[in-house]
Amino acid sequence: MNTHEQIQGSRLPFFVYFALIFLTIATVLLAGLDTGNTVSIIIAMSVASIKAALVLTYFMHLNHEPMIFKLFLGVAFLTLLAIFILTFSDYSFRVLS
Amino acid sequence: MSHQNSHSEVAHHIDEVGTRLGFWLFLYTELFLFAALFLIYAVYRSTHIEDFKLAAESLNTTIGTLNTMILLTSSLTMVLSLESLKKSAVKAARWFLIATLALGTAFLIIKGFEWSAKFDHHIFLQTAKGIAAGHGSPLLTPGDEMLPVGQVLFFGLYFIMTGIHALHIIIGGIWMIIVYYWMSKGSINEENHGVLERCGLYWHLVDVIWIFLFPLYYLVA
Repeated sequence: MNTHEQIQGSRLPFFVYFALIFLTIATVLLAGLDTGNTVSIIIAMSVASIKAALVLTYFMHLNHEPMIFKLFLGVAFLTLLAIFILTFSDYSFRVLS
Repeated sequence: MSHQNSHSEVAHHIDEVGTRLGFWLFLYTELFLFAALFLIYAVYRSTHIEDFKLAAESLNTTIGTLNTMILLTSSLTMVLSLESLKKSAVKAARWFLIATLALGTAFLIIKGFEWSAKFDHHIFLQTAKGIAAGHGSPLLTPGDEMLPVGQVLFFGLYFIMTGIHALHIIIGGIWMIIVYYWMSKGSINEENHGVLERCGLYWHLVDVIWIFLFPLYYLVA
């Protein structure tokens, strides 16, 4: 059990790394496709979010941290979301001269 | 012997989890620093979408992709350095740290070439106000083409955001040199690896920020 975990532990960073490289190539290729402005930015940001999640979870070891670490991340993420939504709800309804 | 005893005593008094949690709090302040810039980018992109696309076309996607790969690889070597140190493989840990530093330096050099190409085209920090008055960057000569306001905003944000990001790479690099020195002195070891761990967390955060910068500047054309 212990040995199994150790092997897993030493291989895992490489799996995560190859996933990150694969996603980087994927996002470049997907950006080459002629999708609309909105669709392409949604695809690019989704892939970036998956990559960021991989780095946070495995490279920054959030998967091995106590619950409070994840709570902090959640609070930071929700705060960011609120700031973006509030700013855009303001900007979208402004009459720009 | 007595030195070793006092050392382990000190190690016992360090609250590693609490220190790490505090460091994560610091990382969130870094995140918000960049988030403010991402917000500005998002608003201006929504109001100048065509100019942003045109301006992004002048950035080299191949170089951007290469730099992304370099930074991702440096994150891997950073993880491997910490893992090696935890397994008492200090020599391997030091080599992986050197590799991380080298990759970070390579990133900066490539970034430097990219920036200097933009300097040559005189699109460094042209101001919208200057353009309204008929002259943009002080580097512009009368024959140079003026950029539309939307593109000026794009390049202004590009230089500010990649510039602050590069500053973080430099800080991370200096930190690695210090950690390397302590590692070779033996004060950072398998028992006391918190400093390398936090250096790694910082480095990964810089990587995460680049993961978002890359598509917003290189893939929107």
